[in-house]
Amino acid sequence: MGVPEEPVISIEGLWMNYIDRMVLRGINLEVYRGQIIGYIGPNGAGKSTTVKIMLGLVEGYNGTIRIFGRDIADGDTAYKRRIGYVPEVAELYDSLTAREYLTFIGELYGMQQADADAKAQKLMGLLSLDKAYDMRIASYSKGMKQKVLLIASMLHDPDILFLDEPLSGLDANSVMVVKEIFATLAARGKTIFYSSHIMDVVEKISSRIILLDGGDIVADGTFSQLREKSREGSLEAIFNQLTGFDQYSDIASEFVAVIGGGTAHE
Amino acid sequence: MNEFRVLKLLDRVQWIFKRLGADYAVMRRILQVKLTMDGRRTPTLFSGAQNSKLNIEGSSFKVQWLYLLLGLMLLVFVAPRDHHILMMSLLFSIVMFLITTTLISDFSTVMLDLRDKNILFSKPVDRRTLNMAKSIHILIYLLTLTLTFTGPSLLFSLFRHGPMFFFLYGAEIILMDGFILVFTALVYLLILRFFDGEKLKDIINYVQIILSVVVTVGAQLVSRLFNISELGLEFTPAWWHYLLPPVWFGAPFELLMGGTRSQSLTILAALSVVVPLVLFTAYIRLMPLFERSLQKLAEQGAAGRDSGRLPRLLSELVCRNRVEAMFFRFTWSMMKHEREFKLRVYPTVGFALIFPYIFIFNQVWSGDLASIRGSKSFLFIYYCALLMMTAVQMVRYSASYKGAWIYRAIPLQGTAMVHRGMLKAMVMKLLLPLLALEAAVFVLLLGSWIIADMAVVVLALMLYSVICFLTFPKALPFSEKYEASQRKEFTGSAFVQLFILAGLAGVHYVFTLIPAGIYIYLVILAAANVWVWRRAFLPDPSQSGGLPTLRAGG
Repeated sequence: MGVPEEPVISIEGLWMNYIDRMVLRGINLEVYRGQIIGYIGPNGAGKSTTVKIMLGLVEGYNGTIRIFGRDIADGDTAYKRRIGYVPEVAELYDSLTAREYLTFIGELYGMQQADADAKAQKLMGLLSLDKAYDMRIASYSKGMKQKVLLIASMLHDPDILFLDEPLSGLDANSVMVVKEIFATLAARGKTIFYSSHIMDVVEKISSRIILLDGGDIVADGTFSQLREKSREGSLEAIFNQLTGFDQYSDIASEFVAVIGGGTAHE
Repeated sequence: MNEFRVLKLLDRVQWIFKRLGADYAVMRRILQVKLTMDGRRTPTLFSGAQNSKLNIEGSSFKVQWLYLLLGLMLLVFVAPRDHHILMMSLLFSIVMFLITTTLISDFSTVMLDLRDKNILFSKPVDRRTLNMAKSIHILIYLLTLTLTFTGPSLLFSLFRHGPMFFFLYGAEIILMDGFILVFTALVYLLILRFFDGEKLKDIINYVQIILSVVVTVGAQLVSRLFNISELGLEFTPAWWHYLLPPVWFGAPFELLMGGTRSQSLTILAALSVVVPLVLFTAYIRLMPLFERSLQKLAEQGAAGRDSGRLPRLLSELVCRNRVEAMFFRFTWSMMKHEREFKLRVYPTVGFALIFPYIFIFNQVWSGDLASIRGSKSFLFIYYCALLMMTAVQMVRYSASYKGAWIYRAIPLQGTAMVHRGMLKAMVMKLLLPLLALEAAVFVLLLGSWIIADMAVVVLALMLYSVICFLTFPKALPFSEKYEASQRKEFTGSAFVQLFILAGLAGVHYVFTLIPAGIYIYLVILAAANVWVWRRAFLPDPSQSGGLPTLRAGG
């Protein structure tokens, strides 16, 4: 074997706490080129926080994070040029048209206006949004907005993609296209860091799955490794087992009971 | 996307920004996007019928005729050929008052904005550039506003006093705007550094109230001190003049144009240049810190459990209708938590709190207390109504305006009860506590004989609240996105409301002249209140249920 490959992302002893609670409790993680990482966990496990810290959106953490070999705390934001990000909530300037928004984002990433525009137009066309290109984003449906966010994250050909629930709102056909895009990008050596609650998708596209629970990594490996370890058939079942959750049917029946009875109307 | 003239102007001085450590190209691009967005309207849930209007690029730089008109008043101060320090200090106290109050109430949300950060800061944009873009964005508006307001007097000064005066005036205006912006930003930074979580959010609102009180009192002080010295036609410096920024800005005119030389004048004039520059440098240094501290506003603190007992009790007390009571509680809790609403309305709490006393104080200054006690000066308490004007106008806005779909989803029979519950909540939460406080102090100052008058004021202002509601375009609470361009459309209504307010105070005065008239007026007002609060909220017969014809603002 040759020289051991250097990790694209390396996280050492990452701790994070908000005023009243611990969100991350000493995460250690190394991510390499070409990996598609499914970053999963229950609500509030700290998934989005991890991503936001890596993007510099959240501060006040303890530990070291290196991206492309450089400590991100050194104050140089240039590393973000090689990162694409799809946030969990569709936050964008929706009074702009897609053309205006995407060229703007492209330019922020250091592209030339004309390049960004041409590229964005082509990508929009491929996701069948060519007609909407010059319409205000405010008039878009949820799926259309999500496509704009996806394009905005990939326009500048980044080496790492941070995707927070990237398929939300997309129809089945678009989901297939986007999944294929991810697979192709990974085969070309891009790294995709992907968090989602849809276990089927994560199970199918991830080359490595990391399960976060209560601020700790509780499982890390390929799907088949996880399956062997827990002897469960699906990722969903593994998820339930590893997060110690087994009373779903009890909770569901109780929930329905509360809806039906009691004092719904004052 | 438009090429804005302002940006071309900025291009000329781009070396300044580069020297200050900002990435000019990126900053320019961010500004361009911001200015473009400002000129556009976001369609709200209920503005479906207005879509055709959406494409009009409402330029934010349309001449604000109102300010221009008001600016004509300033000619009085520029006209005289002597007493420059007196005249210009008065002028600057007026301009500073206007600009500072606008900044605190209208631009605090821009300064403390967090959305930008998520969109822009995940891109390779450094803090300094981001903050610089934000500051310049605000400064552009402040300068436009200031130049519209001072424009007539600026032009007039060129012909009256020559180019030297003109350029001095222009330079001082720019320095002043920078001073106001940077000073406010530093105050916010100080708070951001020292407080955390929920407390921080409350403190910011208190600081807004305090700032507006300080600015109002400060502007008053300037006019006070000079009224006396005017008789002697002489400016006698006192230690506390050094604390009043308008005097700093007035001093250079006396020094350079009036030809008066004195040590204190030179110091004052120097302050007008040095203080803004020092603060500016400090601000540039601290910019990244400011951006970093802003994050604190996003932290979800351990929200205190609010049992909601008070609003529930009050809603049962003042609302007969179930829907009305529901929206009373809804408005109540939204007003308590909605950041945008609080940031925009709380400065007015400051004015409403201090204005009535300012006028009393003025009379005390020039006369003796005894003459106050018998006078009708308590009528100044009508200024409290300013709060309702702002609140009624602002209650339609929310950062989470998209949540307004709920109005459509729930089975709602018309909007009359929604509006009444909303207005009642505002009266109970904002107007009545303020009035109670003011009335108590007035009774203490003037004696118990005005108690009946105070009762009249309460009833009159409750009536006035409905009038405010009726004269503004109707909108459901917290259902629209705040847009500066839309604000102007309310200026007309606001003027009508001011006249009505003056009318109410006038009628009150007339009734005080009639023996026992005040009690008659009390009864009339009570009846009028009952009638209006019923009448104004009748379900519209043309609307057969649902909300389809409802229009959102303008």
